[in-house]
Formats: sequence, structure tokens, C-alpha cells
Amino acid sequence: MATTKLGFIVQRTPYKSENTKLALTHAISSQSVEVYLNDGDLVTADIAFVGDGVLNCLKNQKAMEKYGLTSTESHIKNCLLLDLNVMVCKEDLDKFGLSENDIVMDAEEFGADMTVKVVPFSEITKMMEDVNHLLFF
Amino acid sequence: MKLAVFVSDYRLNVDTLDRLKAEKLGIILVQNGVYHATAKENGAASSLLNKSADFYALSDDLETRGLSAAVNSKVKVISYGDIVDLMFNEYDKNVWL
Amino acid sequence: MGKLTIGCFSSLVGSMSLDFSVKLASAAIEKGHKVDFWVSGNATMLSIKGQRAFKDYSALMKPVQELMGKGLSITACEACAEARGYHKDNTIENFKRHSMDWYLASAFDADRVFHIGGE
Repeated sequence: MATTKLGFIVQRTPYKSENTKLALTHAISSQSVEVYLNDGDLVTADIAFVGDGVLNCLKNQKAMEKYGLTSTESHIKNCLLLDLNVMVCKEDLDKFGLSENDIVMDAEEFGADMTVKVVPFSEITKMMEDVNHLLFF
Repeated sequence: MKLAVFVSDYRLNVDTLDRLKAEKLGIILVQNGVYHATAKENGAASSLLNKSADFYALSDDLETRGLSAAVNSKVKVISYGDIVDLMFNEYDKNVWL
Repeated sequence: MGKLTIGCFSSLVGSMSLDFSVKLASAAIEKGHKVDFWVSGNATMLSIKGQRAFKDYSALMKPVQELMGKGLSITACEACAEARGYHKDNTIENFKRHSMDWYLASAFDADRVFHIGGE
């Protein structure tokens, strides 16, 4: 039995490219990876939003209404529902004058227990050190 | 963490590189990142080269851009095969910026 | 020798990151490493049959097929391909198609993961 940890680092803003969506959908796919692995083997995905990437986390996104696309907000909530560890850099939120009130912090309406963690960049650095591989988006 | 960071642009639109911390940091200049190895704006070399890191630039990408002559002495010119060796032997994680 | 998993999301035409990735894969195979290659997003363009090589556009079908002959395993994200109208019957022979979890499964036992994501 073994576990491989992946760190997904999102540093860019959403929607102009597929960047964030692909980061989150690939991270979410960690929940079905077992079909390819031996019993007990796991791949975990931790997600961190840094730099301009924290703007992905704003509440009240209307991508479905305006473009017929799943919003980044919904993808983040799906991550929480699947118990993925989602971190947002506090210094970068501060830089944009944002607080926990402005960003998606939970997915209670879906019954998710997991919540977004607003953390200093040093915590994200620790995660990057802890994982086996890094995937920057 | 022994981290190899691939810099693929001359003007980065993310500030992540300035914040990455690693016990061993390698900066591998590829694609338009190779301009950091040669360009002098107003007479000054790229500030990227002031970082505490080992610097490499991909020879194919230098030559493609007509840059093979004036590479900064801090930068080692390497091949694709050298990149593979760095990835497997010198660094344990890779980041593409 | 080790295993390298490469993931690339950049398009075949319009970016040279796939060119970089294919050359890196070639160098790794030459050194005896096993290489798994995952293309997702716009990079799934690489999986389509019948690419014509023009000198003004990246042309990677031939080098990729040569690398497949040397053991390269290459897989396209099925949903990303279908979303673009790239269907199974129009996919290069032996170019696999799987869901995104295949990439993570490949990363499971990789010694190194090299991911070209955001552009």
C-alpha cells in the first residue's frame, strides 16, 4: 500500500483559458484513480490558490448563467465535497483587499464537511515540500 | 526540497518564482526564458540572475533565437539530455512557469 | 532507469511547449527512461490522424509515432478530445484515450512528473 501526493498550484485567473478548470478537474479525478491502482494504493491531491489565482475563489460566479459553463466556484465546492484539501494564500487575498467573506469557503449546501483553508504562503510552501510531485497551472 | 524551475517566458505573468523556497534551486531557462541568459536592458543583465540558484539555458532554444554568442557567465548551456539528467539526478521536483 | 510522466496542456499549433515536451520525451527515452505522456486540453490536438507537415507549423505526428515505436506511451484526455470533435476513429493508431485519472495513475509510480500546465 502506498500513497503518492500531488500538489496542484493555481496561479492564474479563471475563464480566459482552461487553466483553472483543468487544474481542478484533474485534482478531482484523484477520487477515481483507484481503478488503475492496486488495492490500498492512493493518489491524493492538495490544491493551493496563490498570486492572481486567489481570484478564482470569489463567490457568486455566474459562468453557468452567462456562458453555460461550470463555474470555478462550483469546481471548488466539488473539491470540498470530495474532501480535497483546498488552500488559499492569505497574503494574496490581503493584497486584493479580499477576506474570507468574499470567497467560497464551504460547500455546506452539498453536505461537505471540508472547508477552504486561508493560510499564509509559508503553509503552502510546506505543502509543496510534503508532496511527491508539483503541478503548476 | 530540491526544485528545478523551468522559466519559459521573458516577461513572467506570475510572481510565484520570487516566493518559491527550496534548499536547492535550479532555474532552467527554456523557450523565451532563454532571453534571461543574454538580454541586457539598459546595460543590465536580467535581475532573475541575481537569485541564489544554479542557472541553465537550453542550447536549442538559444540557437533558435540567434542567442548562442553572449550567454551570461552564470548560466550553463545545456542540451535536452542534460535536462533529463538534471531532473533525475539533481532535483526531485519540477515546476514549469 | 526511472519513469518520467509528462503532462502537457498546450496546443500543437500556436505554442511550442508540445515541441519542447516531445523533445524532452525523446531525450529521456534515449537515456533508457520509461516515459508516459499525457495530453489534455488543447494538447489533445496532437492525437488527431492525418496531420500535414508544413514548415510554418509545428509538426509532431511523425516524431511522436517514432517515439511510440521506441516505447513511448502517449494518452489523450478523452473528454478534452471529444469536446473538440476529436473522436476515437480519427485518433492516431496506438495513441490511447482515457479519463483524467489516467494521468494521476501514471504519476503514482513515476519517479518524476513534468507538468506543463498554465499558459
